[in-house]
Amino acid sequence: MTPLQFEALHAAAWGELESALSPASRRWRWRWRRDAESSATTRPDRARIAALYRAACEHLAVAQSRAYPVWMISRLESLTARAHRLVYRQSELRLGALGRLFLVDFPGAVRAHRLHVLVAATLFVLPMLAIGIASYADPGFILTLHDAGAVDAYDDMYAGDADSPLGRRSAATDWAMFGTYILNNVGIAFQCFAGGLFFGVGSLYFLAVNGALAGSVAGYLTWRGHGENFYSFVITHGAFELTGIVLAGAAGLVLGQALLAPGRHRRLAALQLAAGRAVVIVYGMTAMFIVAAALEAFWSSARWVPASVKYGVGGLCWLAVASYFVFQGRPRRAAAPLR
Amino acid sequence: MAAFDPGPRPDTRLETRLDTRYAAETPEGIALALRPAGVVSRIYAYAIDLLLRTVMFGVVAALLANLGRFGFGVGLVVLFALEWLYPVAFELGASGATPGKRALGLTVVMDSGLPVTPAASLTRNLLRAADFLPGLYAFGISAMLVRADFKRLGDLAAGTLVVHASEATTLGVALPPAPARAPAVALSPRAQAAIVAWAGRVFRLTPARADELAGLAVPVVAPHAAGGDRVAALVGVAHWLLGRR
Repeated sequence: MTPLQFEALHAAAWGELESALSPASRRWRWRWRRDAESSATTRPDRARIAALYRAACEHLAVAQSRAYPVWMISRLESLTARAHRLVYRQSELRLGALGRLFLVDFPGAVRAHRLHVLVAATLFVLPMLAIGIASYADPGFILTLHDAGAVDAYDDMYAGDADSPLGRRSAATDWAMFGTYILNNVGIAFQCFAGGLFFGVGSLYFLAVNGALAGSVAGYLTWRGHGENFYSFVITHGAFELTGIVLAGAAGLVLGQALLAPGRHRRLAALQLAAGRAVVIVYGMTAMFIVAAALEAFWSSARWVPASVKYGVGGLCWLAVASYFVFQGRPRRAAAPLR
Repeated sequence: MAAFDPGPRPDTRLETRLDTRYAAETPEGIALALRPAGVVSRIYAYAIDLLLRTVMFGVVAALLANLGRFGFGVGLVVLFALEWLYPVAFELGASGATPGKRALGLTVVMDSGLPVTPAASLTRNLLRAADFLPGLYAFGISAMLVRADFKRLGDLAAGTLVVHASEATTLGVALPPAPARAPAVALSPRAQAAIVAWAGRVFRLTPARADELAGLAVPVVAPHAAGGDRVAALVGVAHWLLGRR
């Protein structure tokens, strides 16, 4: 069969597939969703597209093996590439998937990687405690981590008098702080995750540094006697923020472990599989940081709420977060047999 | 009858190393030829996006300017979204590319050639932070320069690829007119393909070069055009091979 005969024989099928893929006829998707009956006639049949696509693949293979002219092969290549994208397209984001993410997938992923979470939490909490105790024992120690201006600002912020910045904050300032928390804290969390790409070292580094910074402020302010102001401020949003940073680090460690110990996969394949698992944690962790930023800006800073109420609410939040990760999304136990 | 053959088939592995085409195999057993985009076009795309993001932030900041501290807070949230979510939002759109990439004709696809998934898009764009280190995307650019498929670290982890979206311009769509004539010797399939491809490119070659190349195939047309117009004769053979007899 000559190339021209081959083309003449199949040109009708290629033309049909081309017109089904063209942007003009792709609009059927929207029309189809609006009213299924009226435009059913103009909508290309999905089974027909799939059949045409398989035929075009066959024609491409034949044309390649027979060394047919370049223009025919490149037309078929472009045709099959576009049809492949349409035929194997994954369904779009759906609300159901989002619900499933937070009800099942996210807590399940955290439980599945509990060792990573444990390591991340240790690397975060140990420096926090160590530097916190050091700052409490020797108040000058904080100056090795923060400059004097920043320390003064902390002093002002958590000082007990009503004149302190925390005492006379307006709603607009709350919004300004919300923006700051989103930009800084979520950015730090994303870096903490991305650092995992360097065999996990970056995640460990960011965890330890942020733990140390938090510990130094806590230790210093406790020594200054602002302890109640400080702890009542941080306890509520800390449930989400501190857990979130540990989870960000844990997601990074999942990447790092895949690179260090790829198991039965090649390193690159292991990394890609691990990234697919880690990104579930990243979704959830990001949501936790947004909750934390909102709480930190609008609730934690509210001076009219007595410290005891904040401790109570904060404690409940910690309990809620912990039980979410322990209990949420576990498969239901099979019902006991009747007899 | 002596068969005319242009010689042994070149090593296909070498052939694929000559250009940067990336083959993604489909379940139907055909290879989609993707063309990964190199460092320079991606830097241009990034620069356009950076400019666009700056302008967008400038506009938003101007609108929020007289809202005081409230506007400041909203502005920071917008800055966060522009920094981290801008690429994700555009890559999940219909074109699979940020405006900068679209301007350069690039698009983000999965390794399989399929449109990028939400999880992969988020992964590759959050890992941008790792690509940026130790400064000015040094790790990302190094990774792209080392690899034949120009993946940065985020692409490696997400299993994505930045490719040229437009089809490569195909040479040789129409052959110049010439009376069809049968070849003087039997031609192997590869020789046939070479002659047809050459005939399609004749209009882009200088007459001298076209004649020089036609000279390589003299045995194919020898009895007719030993001294005549070898080019026209060989184009005629190409017409004959295509089926115009």
